[in-house]
Amino acid sequence: MSIWEKMLNVDRRWIFLLIGIACVVPFFTPLGLPILPSQEVISIYDYIEDLSTDNAMFVGFDFDPGTAAENMPMGVAVLRHAFARNVPVFITAYTPLGQGMAGMAIDELTNPATGDYFEYVNWDAWAEIRDQGFTERADIEEAWLAAGNTLPENARGWIFEGRDIAFLGYLPYFHLVILGMSSSIVSQFPTDVGGTPLEEMPMYQDHKSLRDIDLAVTTAGSSACVAWITYGREKIGLPIAFGVTAVMATDYYIYIQSGQIIGQMGGLRGAAEYETLLLDNDYCKNPGKAYIGMDVQNIAHLLIIFLVVLGNIAFFAGGFNKKTKLKGRR
Amino acid sequence: MKRSVPLAIVMVGGILFMIQYFIPHQHSQTLFEYYTEWAPIVGAFALVLGVGSLTRLHSHKIKRKAKNWQYSYAVLIPLYSIPFFALVMPQSLGGGMMQTMGGDRLTMGVFDFAYMNIQVPIQATMFSLLAFYIASAAFRAFRAKSALATVLLLSAVIVMLGQVPIGELLGKWFPKVGLWILRYPNLGAKRAISLGVGFGVLATQLKIIFGVERNWLGGAGE
Repeated sequence: MSIWEKMLNVDRRWIFLLIGIACVVPFFTPLGLPILPSQEVISIYDYIEDLSTDNAMFVGFDFDPGTAAENMPMGVAVLRHAFARNVPVFITAYTPLGQGMAGMAIDELTNPATGDYFEYVNWDAWAEIRDQGFTERADIEEAWLAAGNTLPENARGWIFEGRDIAFLGYLPYFHLVILGMSSSIVSQFPTDVGGTPLEEMPMYQDHKSLRDIDLAVTTAGSSACVAWITYGREKIGLPIAFGVTAVMATDYYIYIQSGQIIGQMGGLRGAAEYETLLLDNDYCKNPGKAYIGMDVQNIAHLLIIFLVVLGNIAFFAGGFNKKTKLKGRR
Repeated sequence: MKRSVPLAIVMVGGILFMIQYFIPHQHSQTLFEYYTEWAPIVGAFALVLGVGSLTRLHSHKIKRKAKNWQYSYAVLIPLYSIPFFALVMPQSLGGGMMQTMGGDRLTMGVFDFAYMNIQVPIQATMFSLLAFYIASAAFRAFRAKSALATVLLLSAVIVMLGQVPIGELLGKWFPKVGLWILRYPNLGAKRAISLGVGFGVLATQLKIIFGVERNWLGGAGE
């Protein structure tokens, strides 16, 4: 057996070991290479940057834990941006497991242990302020501060449940839910996941159907995101932005070119680009998980390319392109 | 009867809602709202059917001690226990949203525990395995055997390098060429595939609505 044949018949566990090392080592020795945001991601950022408390957006956690490594940082980054700008956000999920993913994202953004979080104010906690008739975001915050509440040192701001956020969660047959919400959101989601009636929420009073919504960002690990285009964009003209996995991203450039989506975050790279924009514009103190994960992707991509080149050298140098079959264990 | 009634329902429903989409009249919208409320309710019956069918299949496997029958317990136990705990102890159906919902991580319910500590890691692990298999497959199968295979290989290498910051260090043109490949050749091919699939779906749906395609009946009544 020649050296080339030995190389091509290498036990695949060695390759697994190399990939394992490539995935683990960068976490201990960060490269911190600069990431330049692409136009597809900048478009989404700029769009949300132009929104304010009078607008509202949907963020769909339309993925399962399998693709969370790519999709979760996108969802977290978009939510962070929206919360920082006090844009009311309705959060939905296309799959049952997506609801848990959305919960984890909210948890991450409202967890004081992260050191750069938003202070979550439960629906019941600001009941008195609602009873006083305050519904405008600025008035609510003013009354909340006047009531003796102070923003903790590491907190970026307040999130008032029902004014800044409505966690609607999962419903089956979500494409029908999108269709239904084009007439009325409350017809599909009478309450949020905590049982709070949607009709009592100030953010619902200003945004009763998808026609009153200014943007829907779907973070998806499957073709679920297309439902937002078919039933949201094409039926009522709802602006849509995608956050999809890297393998899916190539499929959806057609929607960018046709103008059916305003932008797209593709894979971990797309999420890292959004995090870079947030970091550059002082929406967060530290880089997010996608930015850190890009180091792993750097090394893993290089390793895979190295393996492809090595495999081809061995294949041609060994003359296997002329032989019918490579002998040995494959 | 077993064939004609479902065929009639599909034909009437299909044509009705095809037309409804283009009529913005109030009656049309009311009909549509009824439909969006009814469809999930009707669909819920499929869940009962699915769970029943799955239970029957795996309980038969256990009874007959069929090959790998032990794994059937791994299907049936979570299938019934997780919804049970979710109903009995619904501390937080919001997944990990424990703090915001006023909960405490230490008093996490069984449903949350199973979701956070079993389902999430299992799914993440399964998907992560792809990286290992892709690397192994790339080494063994990605060959420049022909001109087309070489084009594919070079495109893949450029796009992969263009997607990571280290590619830009190796050559400023990597991200630009990578994006060009995604935005033009890739887009053109995807558009063609997408249009083809779209027309195919349209043709199939029309065949189903008008009763030409009847495979979905599953041989009922034959």
